[in-house]
Amino acid sequence: MSSVIPRHRVNVLTGIKSARLVEDPAEYANLIKKAKRPLLVIGPLLLESSPDGKLLLEYALDIAKVANIPICATAQTKGKVVELGVKPDSVYDVVEIVNALKDPDWPGVKKVGNHDLVIFFGIRSDLGNQSLSTLKHFAPHLKTMTLCKHYFPHANYSLPNFKKDVKWQEFLENLVANLEKGS
Amino acid sequence: MSATGKKLSQKLEEIYERIKAEIPWEPVGPTPMPEIPDLRQWDMRLLKTYAPFYMPFCDLCCFCTYGKCDLTEGRRGACGIDIATQQARFVLLACLMGCSAHAAHGGHILEFLIEKRGLDKKIDLGTFIEVEAPNIRTVVGLKPETLGDLQIALEYVFKEITHLLDSCHTGQEGSALDYESKALHASMLDHVGMEIADIAQIVGFGFPASVAETPLVDMGWGAIDKSKPVILVSGHNPATSTVVIDYLREHNLEDQVEVCGLCCTALETTRYSSKAKIVGPLSRALFFMRAGIADVIMTDEQCIRTDTPQEAAKVGSAVIACLDKAMYGLEDATEIDTDEIVRRMVDNKEQFAILDSIKAAEVAVKVAMEIAPQRKKGWLTEEEAIELAKKCTNCKMCEQVCPNLFNIGGGITEVAKGDFDLIRQQILQCIGCGKCEQECPNNVPIFKIMQTAASMETWKCRTGRGPVMDTEIRNVGAPITLGTIPGVIALVGCSNYPDIDDVADMVDEFAKRKYIVVLTGCAAMVAGMKKDKDGLTVYEKYPPDFAAGGVVNIGSCVSNAHISGAAIKIANIFAALPLRGNYEVMADYVLNRVGVCGVAWGAMSQKAASIGTGFNRLGVPVVLGPHSSKYRRLFLSRKEEDDWKVMDARKREIVDTVEPAPEHLAYVCETKEKAMPMIAKLCIRRNDTPQGRAIKLNHYISLYRKYIGPGLPEDLHLFVRRDADIPLVYKKEVRAHLQEIGWQPREPIGLPTLIGTYPTKVPVDAVIH
Repeated sequence: MSSVIPRHRVNVLTGIKSARLVEDPAEYANLIKKAKRPLLVIGPLLLESSPDGKLLLEYALDIAKVANIPICATAQTKGKVVELGVKPDSVYDVVEIVNALKDPDWPGVKKVGNHDLVIFFGIRSDLGNQSLSTLKHFAPHLKTMTLCKHYFPHANYSLPNFKKDVKWQEFLENLVANLEKGS
Repeated sequence: MSATGKKLSQKLEEIYERIKAEIPWEPVGPTPMPEIPDLRQWDMRLLKTYAPFYMPFCDLCCFCTYGKCDLTEGRRGACGIDIATQQARFVLLACLMGCSAHAAHGGHILEFLIEKRGLDKKIDLGTFIEVEAPNIRTVVGLKPETLGDLQIALEYVFKEITHLLDSCHTGQEGSALDYESKALHASMLDHVGMEIADIAQIVGFGFPASVAETPLVDMGWGAIDKSKPVILVSGHNPATSTVVIDYLREHNLEDQVEVCGLCCTALETTRYSSKAKIVGPLSRALFFMRAGIADVIMTDEQCIRTDTPQEAAKVGSAVIACLDKAMYGLEDATEIDTDEIVRRMVDNKEQFAILDSIKAAEVAVKVAMEIAPQRKKGWLTEEEAIELAKKCTNCKMCEQVCPNLFNIGGGITEVAKGDFDLIRQQILQCIGCGKCEQECPNNVPIFKIMQTAASMETWKCRTGRGPVMDTEIRNVGAPITLGTIPGVIALVGCSNYPDIDDVADMVDEFAKRKYIVVLTGCAAMVAGMKKDKDGLTVYEKYPPDFAAGGVVNIGSCVSNAHISGAAIKIANIFAALPLRGNYEVMADYVLNRVGVCGVAWGAMSQKAASIGTGFNRLGVPVVLGPHSSKYRRLFLSRKEEDDWKVMDARKREIVDTVEPAPEHLAYVCETKEKAMPMIAKLCIRRNDTPQGRAIKLNHYISLYRKYIGPGLPEDLHLFVRRDADIPLVYKKEVRAHLQEIGWQPREPIGLPTLIGTYPTKVPVDAVIH
């Protein structure tokens, strides 16, 4: 996404006002820490293993734990979350949770007010990006970010496309470490 | 004057004349030949509960020279349009493309068959089908008796398409909801157009009707005898492929020439000749063409690849474009002498458009027989594939462009090591677009390599049987509306996303549980492309009847009208509600009382958009695969917040049912695992008896546990009205859960209807049978 933005303010290459690319885990951690009511939406890609054999879902649970972020388990992720000893704060499918998030008066999964930062992790990139587009256009009251190994243009903040899974894994580990620092 | 003696407006008088209102087979209802505003209130009522949910693909509108316009952050375009309305306009355009494709297909078939059989050719669908055209009868108000009558219905569809397309012009409709109402209208018309096309085909070509046990035909590349001349028919319109079969029969060549098909033309051709073979869905087109097995490729319309001439030329297959909708820039040889065309195709390898099907068929057979002996047909050996795969550096460029998001490079690098396991799995997810190969910086022939891994197995597909019989409707009407048959699952449309195996798995899961499973189009093919441990496909494993536990191949894309038609027939034949010009009553009945759920799991095309949206207007929910978020619009409720009030027509009072049944009208699931319980849930209807509801909830809970996780579904309490609704096997657990969350029992509704809850000309009495 290094193309020069022309006079009109939309990226003519993709037709999408693109996400801010963040490559520094400390910066990501700060964005998460600044949020008052973040929500971690986890998807079925997290049921796959990362190169070191650790289940990707475990990174999600680590992040949720250290940053005290409620979890929304989508698709069939609930089963594994429970198996790992965690009770998800909510179980909705992606389009259901996005439909609720669109409503500024929705009380959120903790019933204390709608979320101000929504983090997508492990959702198929076509469905994920389209869902982020819904939030971008119809939920101006919140920001979105992704933790997946691909760039999601419709998010507010996204990671780059990682060519090597190891680099992505390093990022996730550093993110957990940075979140821990302030907790 | 109407039958009731009321004076009609001039417009209505004209409609009455066109639909032959004087023939009193049923009284004419409030909306014969409805125009854009006539069913708008019904749409708005649906859209109030099932609000459009937009997922914009891009942030712009680039339809006119005022733009491109940035529609982010509440901005409006130069014409005044906002992002939601622009999405709805796009959806309407997609639905119009789909509707036009089927209606034009119907138009071509009708013209072809009227020329062959005459305007007065009687419509006769056999002993067991009296309600021959439920969509046409309901929407148009006409009971078609001849091919000529179908033309009347088609002219109405064409007229409406023009008005709807007009509304997409820059600077007109300014409401997303009104665009959605128009999309619902276009898609209802699509079901009329599809019904016209398939009735014409059944009558004109003698396709099976009034029979359940149609032949099982061979499917897969392995089924094709490549030592013979091979003619490949591709697309949707059987006008030419049936003539090819006729020519072969007349010249005693049927056993000497192989006719095989891709996509719906394959399904149609097997309805005409059980000797024809099915290659597979559109996703197999490029693989099969590049294998060079076809000596002659005949294209017709809709889902055919636009690069057919170029791909065919690479492998020396001859090409004939048979319909005006796709002429590929080829010379129109319709008026050229047959022998000259054959000579030029054989000697000069020229490709032609031939719009006369009799001539095209003769040319195809002659060319195939001449060139086949000289052509080499075959695949790479595994050793050759391993060598070619070694050029792959796994740079992931292929993965970046793959619409189904899988790691092709990973599969190819495994092949380089001599391991074909991963690529055998990947071909099941491959939509066959060829973008990967185009992007590869090392020019790895990915398709050729994948071909070697493609299964050479053959499968069985049951021939499409057309409409559900009236006799079957009489048998299942009561158990479906009471809920004791837990639902009708309609797997329709394109098939590959996200995994070709998913469709067969869904069919198996629901047939096993005694749902009725119906299929059409490419979904009907791929359902047969998986065998169980005994080597049986779902078509061999389950009975072909429209009954509990049956697996029914209805036919091609245009046969989808027989699924919506079956839902209408339940209201009309079983519940004895008049259907003529009575769309709202039919749709209200289906929404509230017929537990049917559509599944367009691999939907890709605009036709799938209109098929699905047409089901939605009729009150049928549709589940889509994850990639279908790219259609840009779903119809979702919010179960805890939305309005679930209905009229209890017996008591004449509005009741808040609390229960979201059905919960959504157009819904995307990310995985097969999520889709399974969702499909079961979307079969729940307010009309279920306690026994029926308990059966449905039993499946909902058990599918949830099998695919999602332990415990009970989070929304279970919304669907339990009284203790009797709780399935016996989960009684203790569910009771404890309900007590814990403070659930209170509710009275079931005697006769639930939306009529009476919104402004409509239809009186509440109209829904009482």
